[in-house]
Amino acid sequence: MIITTILFYLFSAILLGSATAVITARNPVYASLFLVLAFFNAAALFILLGAEFLGLILILVYVGAVMVLFLFVVMMLDINLTRLKEGFLSYLPLGLAIAILGVLELAVVFWTSPLGHIPAPGPIPANADNTRALGVLLYTHYLYPFEIAAVILLVAIIAAIALTLRRRQGTKTQSIDAQMAVRAKDRISLVNLRRPEQ
Amino acid sequence: MMMGGQPTLAAYLILGAILFSIGVVGIFLNRKNVIILLMAIELLLLAVNINLVAFSRYQGNLEGQVFVFFILTVAAAEAAIGLAILVVYFRNRRSINVEDIDELRG
Amino acid sequence: MNAFLLHWTFAIPEIWVLIMACVVLLADLYLGERLRDVAPVLTVLTLLGAAVLTFFELGQSGTTFAGLLVLDPFTNVAELFSYLAVLMVVLYSRRYLMDRGIYRGEIYVLLLFALLGVMVMVSGANLLSIYLGLELLALSQYALVAFNRDSLVATEAGLKYFVLGALASGLLLYGMSLLYGLTGTLEVRHIAAALVNVTSSNLILVFALVFIVAGIAFKLGAAPFHMWLPDVYQGAPTVVTTFLASAPKIGAFALIIRLLVDGGYGMLESWQQIFIALTLVSLVVGNLIAIAQQNLKRMLAYSTVGHVGFLSLGIVAGTEAGFASAFFYTIVYVLMSLAGFGMILLLTRAGFEADRIDDFKGLSQRKPWYAFLMLIIMFSMAGVPPTVGFYAKLAVFQAVIAAGYVWLAVIGVLLAVIGAFYYLRVVKVMYFDAPEPESGPIVRDDLASATLSINSLALLVLGIVPGPLMAFCFYAMQGVI
Repeated sequence: MIITTILFYLFSAILLGSATAVITARNPVYASLFLVLAFFNAAALFILLGAEFLGLILILVYVGAVMVLFLFVVMMLDINLTRLKEGFLSYLPLGLAIAILGVLELAVVFWTSPLGHIPAPGPIPANADNTRALGVLLYTHYLYPFEIAAVILLVAIIAAIALTLRRRQGTKTQSIDAQMAVRAKDRISLVNLRRPEQ
Repeated sequence: MMMGGQPTLAAYLILGAILFSIGVVGIFLNRKNVIILLMAIELLLLAVNINLVAFSRYQGNLEGQVFVFFILTVAAAEAAIGLAILVVYFRNRRSINVEDIDELRG
Repeated sequence: MNAFLLHWTFAIPEIWVLIMACVVLLADLYLGERLRDVAPVLTVLTLLGAAVLTFFELGQSGTTFAGLLVLDPFTNVAELFSYLAVLMVVLYSRRYLMDRGIYRGEIYVLLLFALLGVMVMVSGANLLSIYLGLELLALSQYALVAFNRDSLVATEAGLKYFVLGALASGLLLYGMSLLYGLTGTLEVRHIAAALVNVTSSNLILVFALVFIVAGIAFKLGAAPFHMWLPDVYQGAPTVVTTFLASAPKIGAFALIIRLLVDGGYGMLESWQQIFIALTLVSLVVGNLIAIAQQNLKRMLAYSTVGHVGFLSLGIVAGTEAGFASAFFYTIVYVLMSLAGFGMILLLTRAGFEADRIDDFKGLSQRKPWYAFLMLIIMFSMAGVPPTVGFYAKLAVFQAVIAAGYVWLAVIGVLLAVIGAFYYLRVVKVMYFDAPEPESGPIVRDDLASATLSINSLALLVLGIVPGPLMAFCFYAMQGVI
């Protein structure tokens, strides 16, 4: 199965290339599109590792929702691109040196450790159902974190709304509860127009 | 680097390490642009996820994949809050340049 | 009943806080316009209810939800003190928020969710529950810091906190992923058991510990990972700063207990070295830079770094007495910061923050009682007997000396003496300087003033009778080692 190895290097190379492009891109729109590319390749790697469900979720949630959110904010904020281009390179040499050093150290450790060379536990059987196996775990053994994750999403909703929602004066919107609460006598009042008898 | 027809675990771990460093460098490099800073944070989490999925495969249990599932959930929530804070900051400041973030010093 | 739901009653306090947070949210939505106090009042009831529920669980221990939640004395004690901390914040908060037009129910909802995060962390027996609790806390905190959305400094602080907090979570997670890879399990108990056999791939373990300790140091505010702390403490609304310095510190301490002690006690010598470095840097940075500060919130932020240094002395000791004294120090730190920031809250009014040290000039002439309370708070932070701050420092010094690190204790004492200088400067300013003309009147606020009096006097009383609290901390450490 030399093909797996070739695919691994292909996807890894594109993943690292697009990740580098994300952090060096000047224009946030390009950066987010490169991030989409990075996520696609990471999803492919997940599938190579037999985690199909996570691979698909990565594309659906990240590319479908999170990156759209990023793009939305990029478009919404009127960013001054020329100012963002200034002074980028001044941190580059130091950052690069630290990064290469860190990667080398970790790589040597992983490479020399016996853990890095444990054999994969055989090929994944063709009828393995990754989604089902994960689902069974999530709804039984991992019920508690599942609930906490739900709370985290609720907090994100509350926080995002509390921070950004503004009711501007003078905007014309439908006020449904006010409409429902209206009674006939609020709108029509019968006035006796007959001239009083004289 | 072949073993049993698959890249070794070390290959995946080194990939994760490189991606993690790219994320960290992205945070320190992008002094100018908060949106790309937020994207660098996503790269950090992606690196961790690759580690966990690879470990999960080579350890032969699903717990790592479960962890990734939750990290993805948290990362989505984190992105939502981060962008919300960015939007209110931008409304106040009209800039996303980090070097303008200097009201607090001392 | 399914095996993974066995003993689900252990989670009743968590479930109660979660339900009540949702109730507060809805009640504020529907009643908030007519009854403005509905959210804080319900929050206080929630906390009291949670305290009662936790009280009933005292003495029980075990795990539930398939081993993801552990109930032991530490869980109970840490949760009780977290309720107390949030209760104080709520009692202090009302007038400050009203004056700034952010007296909204969501702030209390977020406080409750943050508290829930702390509770999940302190009761976490699995990397997954610890991480999710931490994120629940962190996400609520980011939103709280930026809550005053029309203030430039607050949103700027929120943004800084968010970026550095997310970086810290990333470091912690990377460490956790390596730990999982080494042991093949997420459960802390099993990790501890599996680590006994891990020696050949030791370097990966060292890396895992370095990443995890760095993440914890970020959350705790230990130098050199403290750079977010002064900016966030200064920029956030003071009510939020008060909260940041309280329950989340108990949560960060729980990270140490759950990850490093429950999980990595066998590796004590590996992470002890890192903690010695963190302790030294924190003690020096915190106590020296605090001297230069003119802003009280900033000064208290650097003093936090110093306090984190002192409490890590107990962690470095690595004994049961050491952890108990570090826990004691954490609780005392929380009480002292609640009082210190509570004092700033009490002196503020609309358009005036009272967060410069100069704002405290001549406080003894304007309001002698407040000046006296502030004197107790500052003495306690400096570690002057007979306040509880003295006893807390004494306990960590004793623990670290007993563990054989006399030189660390000597450095600690030296920096405690240096640190006393900037606390005493505040006292000097209050008693010997003339009030500034623009200080203006002090707004009457009976609730916060009564809370502050109890809070500050507790520092004095606990200093005279520290025995029960110390015994409580030793009780909490039962079953941890």
